[in-house]
Amino acid sequence: MSSCRKRCKREMFKFAQYLYRLVTGTLHADSVEDELELSAVRHRPEGLEQLEALTRFNRKELQILYRGFKNECPSGVVNEDTFKDIYSQFFPQGDASTYAHFLFNAFDTDKDGSVSFEDFVMGLSILLRGSVQEKLNWAFNLYDINKDGYITKEEMLDIMKAIYDMMGKCTYPLLKDDTPRQHVEIFFQKMDKNKDGVVTIDEFIDCCQNDENIMRSMQLFDNVI
Amino acid sequence: MAAGVAAWLPFARAAAIGWMPVASAPMPTPPPDNRRKQDGLILLNVSGQKFQTWRNTLERYPDTLLGSTEREFFFHEETNEYFFDRDPDIFRYILNFYRTGKLHYPRQECISAYDEELAFFGIIPEIIGDCCYEEYKDRRRENQERIQDDEDSENQNDMVPPDMTFRETMWRAFENPHTSTMALVFYYVTGFFIAVSVMANVVETVPCGTLPNRVKQVSCGERYALAFFCLDTACVMIFTVEYLLRLMAAPSRWNFIKSVMSVIDVVAIMPYYIGLVMTDNEDVSGAFVTLRVFRVFRIFKFSRHSAGLRILGYTLKSCASELGFLLFSLTMAIIIFATVMFYAEKGSSASKFTSIPAAFWYTIVTMTTLGYGDMVPKTIVGKIVGSVCSLSGVLVIALPVPVIVSNFSRIYHQSQRADKRRAQKKTKLGRIAARKSGGTNAYLQYKSNEVTASKAAGQALVCKANPMFDTHHNHLLHCLEKTTNHEFVDEQTFETSLLEVSMAKHPPHSPSLSSGSSSQGLSCCSRRNKRKSFNVPNSNMTGGHRNSIQELSTIHIRERPITNSRSSLNAKFEETVPLNCKQPYITAAIITLPMPPVTRPEDDGSASSPDYSQANIVRVSAL
Repeated sequence: MSSCRKRCKREMFKFAQYLYRLVTGTLHADSVEDELELSAVRHRPEGLEQLEALTRFNRKELQILYRGFKNECPSGVVNEDTFKDIYSQFFPQGDASTYAHFLFNAFDTDKDGSVSFEDFVMGLSILLRGSVQEKLNWAFNLYDINKDGYITKEEMLDIMKAIYDMMGKCTYPLLKDDTPRQHVEIFFQKMDKNKDGVVTIDEFIDCCQNDENIMRSMQLFDNVI
Repeated sequence: MAAGVAAWLPFARAAAIGWMPVASAPMPTPPPDNRRKQDGLILLNVSGQKFQTWRNTLERYPDTLLGSTEREFFFHEETNEYFFDRDPDIFRYILNFYRTGKLHYPRQECISAYDEELAFFGIIPEIIGDCCYEEYKDRRRENQERIQDDEDSENQNDMVPPDMTFRETMWRAFENPHTSTMALVFYYVTGFFIAVSVMANVVETVPCGTLPNRVKQVSCGERYALAFFCLDTACVMIFTVEYLLRLMAAPSRWNFIKSVMSVIDVVAIMPYYIGLVMTDNEDVSGAFVTLRVFRVFRIFKFSRHSAGLRILGYTLKSCASELGFLLFSLTMAIIIFATVMFYAEKGSSASKFTSIPAAFWYTIVTMTTLGYGDMVPKTIVGKIVGSVCSLSGVLVIALPVPVIVSNFSRIYHQSQRADKRRAQKKTKLGRIAARKSGGTNAYLQYKSNEVTASKAAGQALVCKANPMFDTHHNHLLHCLEKTTNHEFVDEQTFETSLLEVSMAKHPPHSPSLSSGSSSQGLSCCSRRNKRKSFNVPNSNMTGGHRNSIQELSTIHIRERPITNSRSSLNAKFEETVPLNCKQPYITAAIITLPMPPVTRPEDDGSASSPDYSQANIVRVSAL
């Protein structure tokens, strides 16, 4: 009952305020939110030496990487929308936003909602200069959406759908609705050795190391930078 | 694609490692990376002002002057720099375009100077960013219009081209009176007669004194009836002749008849003819008199002579919704106040407010602050309501009128700008779509290039025109294709395949044709054949079975060239053979269900295809 009365009083006060503002002609209250927008997010990365120590890139490569990074994101961090934007430009035919979302989560190791230059360059260091084990680890991390150490069929299906979304509509042969599901079945047949419905990191790494094609394709992008 | 994004291509390629474990096919080999040379600074000297930038920055746009080898023409050995004898202020914007990927238009620069610089440096103005594009287009259009006006005014002083027909000459004379003296004379004569006719209509009704043997005042029209009738006849004859001449000279008679001016002309002269036809019958004379009111429409003929009237008419038309709303709100207010007034005055005796519609008149007169005084409230409540009514009348009427007046000019300009923006938006969307399709087309082109290139043995895969970025990007898209085992196709191919899927749902016509379709041979290399069959109509055989694209499960691998009656039809089929041998991919587990194509005349010759299909096709299930 007292809360009701309190609420009533608050409403009456607000109404009185409204009438006052109506009479004096200042109905549009200045929004306080505008001030918050002025303080944009700025981020400065660690020094060059520290990054050199953390990653496997040399100075020149880090310089080139940072220049490209800062050019596209002058504030120093990438948030998820910018990330999706940038990644979608490479796949004009399809919708790359879902896969970009998973990729973003894989790069954003400290889970603060934005990818700073350190996250970016550490992820790249694994992908381009890491051992095959580390790369497979990274891939497993990407597929394991909830980071519980197991890849379930649902997680794999999400990833697969995201990848097929990037193809878009105009493909040959025509994309069926259950193509991703079939692909997931094939994947699980191959990877899930003990048929328990999930793929663990050991099964994954084991199986990949035994597959010629996968091992060869892991080395494909080593000379990208 | 924005230049800045090019810097993220290495990231996108690295992220492609995420597809590797799930890929269903081995990845294509990456293109050779011959970007071994160091990224150096370039010095650009533009009329003494020095600019420096990375070489890579300039090479982002290889189809411009600075990004291509064309800049070598401007290399100055003595000072080891590139010298351009151009405007340094405008060059700033051009260089910023390379740096940021966005081209801006400076407002203080002259539009033609800017255009010249863009043309010199090989940059198309269509890529100006959205922030400056509208301004640029506006300035450009103004400039064009000014040039056009200058040209037009020159043209009008020229001699009439001699090969214009008489009809065209007449129409031109009617539309532009100052082209010839005859037209000018005609223009003034008609104007004079319109004025005379209107004056006659007005003077007709003035009381002209009394007739000798009558008491009543008589109007001039009745007193000098014959004179006025002659005058009217003369005017109407002139108007009729003018109308008929215009009708004859009009390039499109139907359009002319539909136009507003012609309707006004007809309405202006009709009453006279109707009056001639009708006799002096008492029954219809009332209607006849009403008809004469239409003679006043002759005054609207002046709008041909006055541009201002035309503009007013146009703006009224474009503000119709505003006016309509004003009318609606007025009506609401009138009804409300009339009702209240009626019930307030109901009690008083001898009240003039006999009904609500009767009170409408009072409300209108009060709200427009006219206040005739023929109806006044007597009760106190009525007076209060009356005062509220007149106060709100000021608000309801006086306030929107200036708003409408300013709306006139605003809406007029706005509608013009809205049309502009719509047209610009369409072209912009077209540009974006073209860029997107350009991106995908570039990739498809690259693939077909790969095919044709690999035919010629040992030919370099990448043609000189492709910059490194495109090569790597195409390789990335190729990897995605391999991962998902589906290929990118362009719109038309997709449409045709959709059609064929729906067509091929019919039951099989003949069993012999069924396996003919399987000769589609959907190995990945022969899929490239298929691609070839779409783009280059070489292999009629695969082309003939185009219409049996169905659920694909296993991929067939052709082991030897197909000896089939069809091969005689397409001499070029042999070229596809080397491809088969070169890339013996074992591809993913996708099973083809051979579906029969729709009966086509050329399919009849495939009697031998069943044999071949069983012999040559090896079903492979991968993984």
